[in-house]
Amino acid sequence: MTETDLATRIRSFIIENFLFGDDDGLKDDASFLDEGIVDSTGILELVAFIEEEIKITVEDDELIPENLDSVTNVVNYLERKI
Amino acid sequence: MNSIIICKTCILPATFPGISFDDNGICNYCRREERSVEKIAEKKAAFRDRLDELIAGIKGQNLSYDAIVAYSGGKDSSYTLKLLKEHYDLRLLSLTFDNHFVSPTAWKNIETVTNTLGMDHIRFRPPWPMVKALFRQTALEETFPAPTLLRASSICTACIGMVKSLVLKTALEMSIPLVAFGWSPGQAPIQSAILKNNPAMVKKNQWALFKGFPAEIQRRIHPYLIPEAYYEIYKDRFPYNIHPLALFDYHEETITRELKEMGWEAPGDTDTNSTNCLLNAFANQRHMDRHGFHPYVMEIANMVRQGVMDRREGMEKIYTEQNPNMVKYAEKRLGL
Repeated sequence: MTETDLATRIRSFIIENFLFGDDDGLKDDASFLDEGIVDSTGILELVAFIEEEIKITVEDDELIPENLDSVTNVVNYLERKI
Repeated sequence: MNSIIICKTCILPATFPGISFDDNGICNYCRREERSVEKIAEKKAAFRDRLDELIAGIKGQNLSYDAIVAYSGGKDSSYTLKLLKEHYDLRLLSLTFDNHFVSPTAWKNIETVTNTLGMDHIRFRPPWPMVKALFRQTALEETFPAPTLLRASSICTACIGMVKSLVLKTALEMSIPLVAFGWSPGQAPIQSAILKNNPAMVKKNQWALFKGFPAEIQRRIHPYLIPEAYYEIYKDRFPYNIHPLALFDYHEETITRELKEMGWEAPGDTDTNSTNCLLNAFANQRHMDRHGFHPYVMEIANMVRQGVMDRREGMEKIYTEQNPNMVKYAEKRLGL
């Protein structure tokens, strides 16, 4: 899966599940927490998506903003793991 | 109200953001969830195993308590206490954030339940001027980002933010390894039922939640949040958050019956979506006036879809008019 494919899938998941279909110009580097897009339970929904759909296991100590708090951060994190 | 188009499967209205309906009158959210609804039983079992394993590893390790429970006195948090005590036999500390709008019946329930289950309880009551300022701010201005308000009303978001912070702070100070919440299966999905708190994530989340408040309110909220030093001092004792109701059978009628056997009573002075808070009707009304949909509608729609609540009951909870006396009561107390 290319970086672009990953970014598209993550974006689609966020827009569909947390922005109710309205991307409203979601930037790839926008912080999910700062923008109120996801809260702490929402992060786990994102983790479940990553584990189920992208088949990557996210460990407890990897639940940090640097890995999960924006489309770019998630893509970079996944690229390191794949 | 009759003229609003409502999904024929769940209860989402045409005014809900991003909604569309197919030829059968079923909304896109129901269609989207079809696959995950089929997998609920399997997912629930897997997460229940994880919870059992987590509790087995934690139970009895701490000298004082195994878990702290955010306890509103309402039905769901009362049942969470009962479950954790009777099913897992945990040593529990319950903490109630007194927002000055807790129903007198809920206080009676708190006393009854904690006494019956034999557990310690903390009532945390910030001064009224501070609480009033917080609620007035959220009632008068939209302080939170728009996506946050798709999940809950502005007033509830502020209040719950305080609750989350206080229970976590207490857990850190007392080295309690588990923090439990009574979220219903519609409020938070199965996959978020177990969360290992991470200091950096908590810090960012907390700042993100309250950053939109004016400086004066931020100053007043500050003492109730996690102090900066804790992220370093207690970095190794950040607890797990759990919300067990997502992983057990959830039927309101059964839950209410079991609680009543303990002496718990349903308050007669709260709205259809709360069994403890006298501010909720006003919070709901304000949200509906601003956004055109009920702040609980997504939660209740999820529960209808999952089959844990029938549609008729869901409709009643969402489309019953807010009691104008309760709305006025809150407005008067907040000086609005």
